[in-house]
Amino acid sequence: MVAQNIFFGILAAIVAISALRMVTTRNIVHAALYLVAVLAGLGALYVLLTAEFVATTQVLVYIGAVMVLFLFGIMLTKAPLGNVMEMTGRQWPLAAVVAALLGGVTIYSLVDRFGSERLNTDGPIYRTADVSDEVFSTYIVPFEAVSVLLLAALIGAIVLARKD
Amino acid sequence: MATQSVLAFVGPSVNWWALLPQMILLGAALLIMLVSALAPKQTSTPFVTVTTMCAAITSYIVATGLWNDVQRDGPSSSIASAFGIDGFSIFFTMLILVALAATALLSHGYLDKEGIDAPEFHALLLCSAAGAIVMASANDLVVMFIGLEALSIGLYVMIAMHDRRQEARESAIKYFVLGAFSSAFLLYGIALTYGATGSTNLIHIRDYLGAVVFRDQHLLMAAMALLLVGLSFKVAAAPFHFWAPDVYQGAPSPVTGWMASVAKAAGFAALLRIFFAAFASHRIDWTPIVSVLAAVTLVVGAVMAILQNDVKRMLAFSSVSHAGYVLIAVQAATDQGTAAALFYLFTYTFMVLGTFAVVGAMGRDDDHPLANYAGLGRSRPVLAIGFTILLLAQAGIPTTSGFVAKFQVIAAAVNNKNYVLAGLAMITAVVGAFMYLRIVMAMYVDNEEQKSSVPSWHWSTKVVVIAMVGFTLLAGLVPQFLIEFAEDAVPILIRG
Amino acid sequence: MSELLRSYLTVGIFGVAAIAMAGAMLTIARILRPQRPTPQKLIAYESGVDPVGGDWAQSQIRYYVFAVLFVLFDVEAVFIFPWATRLEVYGTFGLVEMAIFIFILVLGLFYAWRKGVLRWV
Repeated sequence: MVAQNIFFGILAAIVAISALRMVTTRNIVHAALYLVAVLAGLGALYVLLTAEFVATTQVLVYIGAVMVLFLFGIMLTKAPLGNVMEMTGRQWPLAAVVAALLGGVTIYSLVDRFGSERLNTDGPIYRTADVSDEVFSTYIVPFEAVSVLLLAALIGAIVLARKD
Repeated sequence: MATQSVLAFVGPSVNWWALLPQMILLGAALLIMLVSALAPKQTSTPFVTVTTMCAAITSYIVATGLWNDVQRDGPSSSIASAFGIDGFSIFFTMLILVALAATALLSHGYLDKEGIDAPEFHALLLCSAAGAIVMASANDLVVMFIGLEALSIGLYVMIAMHDRRQEARESAIKYFVLGAFSSAFLLYGIALTYGATGSTNLIHIRDYLGAVVFRDQHLLMAAMALLLVGLSFKVAAAPFHFWAPDVYQGAPSPVTGWMASVAKAAGFAALLRIFFAAFASHRIDWTPIVSVLAAVTLVVGAVMAILQNDVKRMLAFSSVSHAGYVLIAVQAATDQGTAAALFYLFTYTFMVLGTFAVVGAMGRDDDHPLANYAGLGRSRPVLAIGFTILLLAQAGIPTTSGFVAKFQVIAAAVNNKNYVLAGLAMITAVVGAFMYLRIVMAMYVDNEEQKSSVPSWHWSTKVVVIAMVGFTLLAGLVPQFLIEFAEDAVPILIRG
Repeated sequence: MSELLRSYLTVGIFGVAAIAMAGAMLTIARILRPQRPTPQKLIAYESGVDPVGGDWAQSQIRYYVFAVLFVLFDVEAVFIFPWATRLEVYGTFGLVEMAIFIFILVLGLFYAWRKGVLRWV
């Protein structure tokens, strides 16, 4: 339990610092790379929570796919690199208030619900195989629906990109 | 690992018969794509329209069979109770299929005229329809979310497909950003619901909430609020309606009709299933919020509509105010209220599809000043009468289905002793009627200087308008069959 | 610490070792090498030719389709992973389900190919 707490502390610090740097840095590519650190840290936290599959998905989808989209988004636009651009919009205090509010509500409701409740550390560990059993029994139809969803997204992307 | 593989695996029992309506639509979408990939030259607009129509009709026949089964054997659910087979899901399946057929016909003339790729448009339309059906039938929040995304992705692209029009792109981006934003709210709400109840299955959630008394329920309240905000975006309820006027105006008219009918109906289906059916034991918590939402939506929709000068924007705000009426029925949280909401959505689907069919025939997509309609009563008398009936139905004039729908909604509010909301609904109905009458007046006022743009009638548009006007009058004069249909379609959450 | 976490500790130690090794090599090189910077040496290495223009160029929009394709098949992989861990247990049922899943997505790839968006112009 102690080791877990130490690792949690290290990872949480990495995530928090990277998140802060991500919104304060003046270089957009640096911001993207800080985001990678945030997402990787979260992935490690999922491992600590023994959510193996979620951690794998985090790495594959977020660090893989979402970051590719971010970097493509940066590369396809004419966003100037370096510190030339004032990255922070003028409405940042408003955004900060909204973020603080959302964070406050979330923390409050979670603390209110779970408070000092201690999680059972000896509880069952859900391995990837268990997730697979769920997908192939309870969620078999959504699973197939996801392929159609992805197909629709693909057609959409091609339709929109082709004539440009 | 060795021990794991010994464990027996039991596959789910799937009621394929109940999934057939969606699967027909998806099969048609895949067929259209395959044919268009293999033989792009031969994939003409008539071919894809016929394929979509056949799929819609076959699917409708299957849905009718399912309806009879459900009425005889009672509701059930399939695939580990994640998929509801009740009157509610089949009601919405039918509604969506009607809208699908109408939109396929409307787009038939439109796609050729504007030079849009028909196969892609129809494939996305079919995916979108299947998503809407999944959303209305889902007994599980995760399944519901996937349905919503399929519905939305199709819509985003259908709005943006008109590549020569900047407005369509702009409105697609607006809808996409706000749609993604609201999906995030919804997803967060789903996560918190899972946190509060330990499941995403609506049946389990209902049983859990009915059995457990919370010491304090802030988590559940936050979950409800996030779910409500997410779905309010989708159904364009104020104050989450800001995207509606711009998007309705910029989108191609057949897509606007589809968005106003199906996206709204599917959103309300999800709202009713989650709040009315699953959160039934906590109705004291959510009905006041929904009543406030309904009141705000009614006022904003009615007042903003009379301030507009563009017909498409007027209709967008009228669509907002219609969401308000349905919300009145939702906040009643009774079987009567839910039946009224269903009746309203069904009749509104016909009205709005017919209205946007006429609007689409009236001219270019992004520019619909009221002056365009001047003198239409003289130059195109039949079209003008049809349009007048559809507008008066939206205003809620007796002998049209709109009157019966509004009457039922207000009756539900009165029975629920919510006299304030009932009064507000009547006042806003009068205010809203002014806006519809403005359009009607514009059509019949003879003004020699202003020439109304001569609408380009495609035969498929005529069919749709005639069918929609006919149904609107039929459901207004003899509403009993539809009232009974809606009463049999109240959602029932039942295991296995 | 549970069995599962202990096995992941190996991953962590491996990662730390990798970073330490790379860091050590760079540090040692920094200590040992002479440092006499001239402006020419600081120019970015462009295969022996002097670089022209800035370090930032806008990419072609057509690469976007490849990004989207990557994302789609990445998500597909997410579903194949858990399936692979239980492959024998599901038998034919799992095979058929996964075949449908992959078929639908391959159809999308086929469509993209036929529509010519994969052509590298």
